[in-house]
Amino acid sequence: MGTAALPRFPHCEGKPVRMTVLEATHITKSFVGVRALSDANFALRAGEICGLVGANGSGKTTFARIVSGLLMPDGGELKLYEKPVNLRSHLDAERFRMAMVHQNLSLVSEMTIWENISLGREATGAMALLDNRAAVAQAQAAMETIGVKIPVHERVKNISPDEKQLVEIGKALAKDPRILILDEPTASLDFHQVESLFRAVRQLKDHGVAIIFISHRLWEVAKICDRLVAFRNGETVGELDFAVQPREEKLIIPLITGQEAKEVVRKRSSVREEEISRHAAGGVALELRGVSLPRRLSDISFRLRPGEVLGLGGLQGQGQEEILMILAGYLKGYTGEIFVEGRPRALRNTRQAIRKGIALIPGDRHKEGLFLEHSVFSNLLYPKVSMHRGSFFLPRRRFQKIATEAIDSMSLVPPNPRLVVSQLSGGNQQKVVVGKWLALSPRILLLNDPTKGVDVGTRQNLYAIVSRLAESGTSVILYASDNQELIANCDRVLIVFEGRIVKEMTADEVSEEKLVVSSLNVEHTGEKAPEPAEGRGA
Amino acid sequence: MKVPRAFRGIMQDSSFPSFVMLVLLVIVNAVLQPGFFSFQVFRMNFMTFTPLILVSLAQATVILVGAVDLSIGAGISLVTVVMASLMQDSPLSIIAVVLLGVALALFLSFFNGFFIGTIGPPPLIMTFATSTMWFGTALLIRPTPGGHIPEAYYTIYSRTLAGFLPVPVLILLVAVAFCLLLGRTRSFRHLYAVGGNERAARASGINVTWTKIFAFLVSGVFVALAALCLVGQTATGDARSGQGFTLNSVAAAVIGGIAFSGGKGNYVGAIIGGIILGMLINIIYFANITSFYQEFMKGVIIIVALLFGAVPRLRRELAQR
Repeated sequence: MGTAALPRFPHCEGKPVRMTVLEATHITKSFVGVRALSDANFALRAGEICGLVGANGSGKTTFARIVSGLLMPDGGELKLYEKPVNLRSHLDAERFRMAMVHQNLSLVSEMTIWENISLGREATGAMALLDNRAAVAQAQAAMETIGVKIPVHERVKNISPDEKQLVEIGKALAKDPRILILDEPTASLDFHQVESLFRAVRQLKDHGVAIIFISHRLWEVAKICDRLVAFRNGETVGELDFAVQPREEKLIIPLITGQEAKEVVRKRSSVREEEISRHAAGGVALELRGVSLPRRLSDISFRLRPGEVLGLGGLQGQGQEEILMILAGYLKGYTGEIFVEGRPRALRNTRQAIRKGIALIPGDRHKEGLFLEHSVFSNLLYPKVSMHRGSFFLPRRRFQKIATEAIDSMSLVPPNPRLVVSQLSGGNQQKVVVGKWLALSPRILLLNDPTKGVDVGTRQNLYAIVSRLAESGTSVILYASDNQELIANCDRVLIVFEGRIVKEMTADEVSEEKLVVSSLNVEHTGEKAPEPAEGRGA
Repeated sequence: MKVPRAFRGIMQDSSFPSFVMLVLLVIVNAVLQPGFFSFQVFRMNFMTFTPLILVSLAQATVILVGAVDLSIGAGISLVTVVMASLMQDSPLSIIAVVLLGVALALFLSFFNGFFIGTIGPPPLIMTFATSTMWFGTALLIRPTPGGHIPEAYYTIYSRTLAGFLPVPVLILLVAVAFCLLLGRTRSFRHLYAVGGNERAARASGINVTWTKIFAFLVSGVFVALAALCLVGQTATGDARSGQGFTLNSVAAAVIGGIAFSGGKGNYVGAIIGGIILGMLINIIYFANITSFYQEFMKGVIIIVALLFGAVPRLRRELAQR
C-alpha cells in the first residue's frame, strides 16, 4: 500500500486540457426500495468548474458518493479519463486522483489537523514506519493553498465548525487531485472564507483540475461555476452553460423546483413597521442590557419588539451563536441583565428559557435538534412532554392532536407521525425541528443558521412559517451565515464583530455590500482599539 | 497561573491525572510496605505488576479501536491450561510449547477481531460469548488446577539477569519497545481514527475491518506475554487463574485515561493504570485491611481514580460557564 507510488495515467497527462475526465451516463441507485437515482447523467472536462444543484433528496450527494467510490451504482456507466471504470472503493477512486470534500465531515476530532490531513495516506519512511515530518509539511502546504492560518498541531476537537470545513478541504487538496468534488463546502463558511476558498478553487482550475461544486447557495454556484447540471428526483433535468447564458439565479431555480421562479415579495418595511407597532402595545418582548461573557461577548444591549424579526449578521464565530445560546439557557456565567417582557429574568438553564417562551432552533439538526431513531410523533412532542405539568399520565389523545396539527402546518412529506425521523429527507427533518417548538407556541423564536444544507424550496417554506409567526406577534432572532437570508427576512440587522454589536441597520438600509463592509468593521477602526479576539482554545 | 508551554502539554495529556495518582500511591505504598525501595521488594512487586500491565495494554488496544475484550481473562486461563498440559522438561519442548501458547493467544484474539471486524456484533456481547467458550474449553482440558511446568521454566521468571534486571522487568521493557515501534506504524494511527470516528475513517480510505483485526492481534501479543508470565508465576495450569484479569484490565485502562468511547488515550496511560492497580492490591494487603473489605476498597479506590481522570474535563466545563 505505498501511497507514494500513485499509478500514473498516461492518458490524463499531456493531452489537450479540455478532455472529458469524468462521464456518467444513466446511473441508477436504490436504497432498500427507495430510488435515489433513476437516470443521472453528468460530464466533466478538465479545467472546468461544474455546479451540481437540486433540492434535498434529489440525489446530488448519492451521485457524488458513487463517483467517489463510496457507493456502487445499480446500473449505468461511469467513465474516467475516457475509459470505463468500476470503482469498488474509495481507495479505487483515489487511485484515479479523485478527492471528495465530505458534507458530513470525515475528520477524527481526537486527532490533530495534520494527522487528519494525512489520514489514510500516511507517508512512510524506512521499514514502513511513519514519516511524521513529511506529513506535517504536507499538511501545512495544503492549508496554505486555501489561505488558512490554523496551527496544524491543533486537535480538531478544539477548532470551530468553519475551520473544520476548511481542514476538510485541505485534506482533499493534499491528495493533489485531478478531479475534486466539493459537497457543500461553503455550508458553514462566511463570505470571507468563501472568498478565499473560491480563490483556491480558481487556482486549481487554472492548473487543469476538474471540479464538481455542489451547493444550495445558488448565487455562489452562479458566481464560480462555468456550467451547471441540475438534478430533480434522481434525474438529470437540465444544464446551464454560463459561457452562453447569463449568470442569474432566476434561471437556476426553475431547474431545481420544476416551477417558474416565484418572486418572493417582501412586504414594504413601512407595512412591517405598522404590524410591529400594533403588537408593540404589549411592550418590549426582550431586552438585553450590557450582557457580557468572558472572552466571548462584551456589552451586548438591544431590544426586541413583539412580532419583530431581528437579524444577527457578521463574520462566522463573532459571538452571534453565543448570544442565542445565552438566551436559550445553554451558556451560563454571563453578566448583565436580560428582561423578558419587561421583567428581569435569569436564564440559568434550557428549561427556564423554554418556560419563558424562548425556543431555539439549532443549526446542527443532527446534534441538538432531533432524536434520529425516534418517530416524528415523539420528536414533535419531546418539548411538550418535558414541560408537562399536572397529571402523572400524559394526555395521549391531546398530544396526538398537537402532532397532527404541527405536521399539517409544516406540510411534512410524508405526513405520517409514525415514521422514524432518520428516514425523512434532510429538508423534512428540518421541518420537524421547527415543528416541535411550534407546539409550545413560543413567544421568542431563536434561529441558529436554520437553513444550513437546506434546499431552496424548503428554505422558502421555513421563512414563510417564520414570517407567519412574526405576523402573529412572535419575536424572532435570526442568525444566518448567509447574508441574502438576512436581507430577505429581517426587519432590523445587528452586526456582531468580536463579541460586540458594531452596527445596526434597518430593513431599508440593509444591502449585501453594507453587510460585508460592516462585518469587517472597517468603518469603526480608530474609534477604539478592539480587544484581541481570543475565541478558542480556552 | 503561568505554566511553561512544554509542561502544559504534559498536563493536557490524557494520562496526566493517572500519573498524579500514581505518585500519590507510590508514597502511600512506600509508607505501608516495608523496604519498598529495596531491590528485593522492587523485584517481587514487578512479578505481580507485569501481568497486570500487560493485560492493561491488551485491553487499552481494543478499547482504543472502539471495542472491548471481555475474553482476555478466560483466554489467559486457556493458554496456561494448554501449556501446563503439554510442556515437557526438554528445552526443545519448552520452546515449542511457549511458541504454541503465543500462537494460541493470537488465534483467540484473532477469532474475536475477525468476527467483530467483518460481521460486526457488539464487542461486549461477542467477547462475553467467546470468554465462556474459552473458559469451558479450559475446564474441559483441566477441571482442577495442575499439569506440569518444568522447573527450568518457572525459575526463569523469578530470576535476575546481570544482577540488576529482573526477568519480569525485562519482559516489560520488551513490551514497551514493541509499543514504541507500534506507535510509528500506519495501522496504529488508523486504530485511533477508527476508534475516534469510524465513518470518518472509512471516508478517508482506511480499511476498517483490517484495523479492528489488527487491534485484536496486537492485544493478542500482550495477552500471550501475560499468559507466559502467569505460568511462570504460578507454575500451574488453572482454568480460573485468569478470571480476575478481564475486569482488572478494563479498570486499569480506564484509570490510565483511555476513553471508553475509543480513539483517545495512550499506552503510557495504560502502563500507569496497570501499575496503579497493582499498587492498590499491594496497599490493601499491607494496610492489613480484612479480606472482606479488600474488594470493597478496591472499588472505592477505582472510583476515586476515575474522579481524578474527570478533573480536567470538569475544569474545562466550569471554565465555559
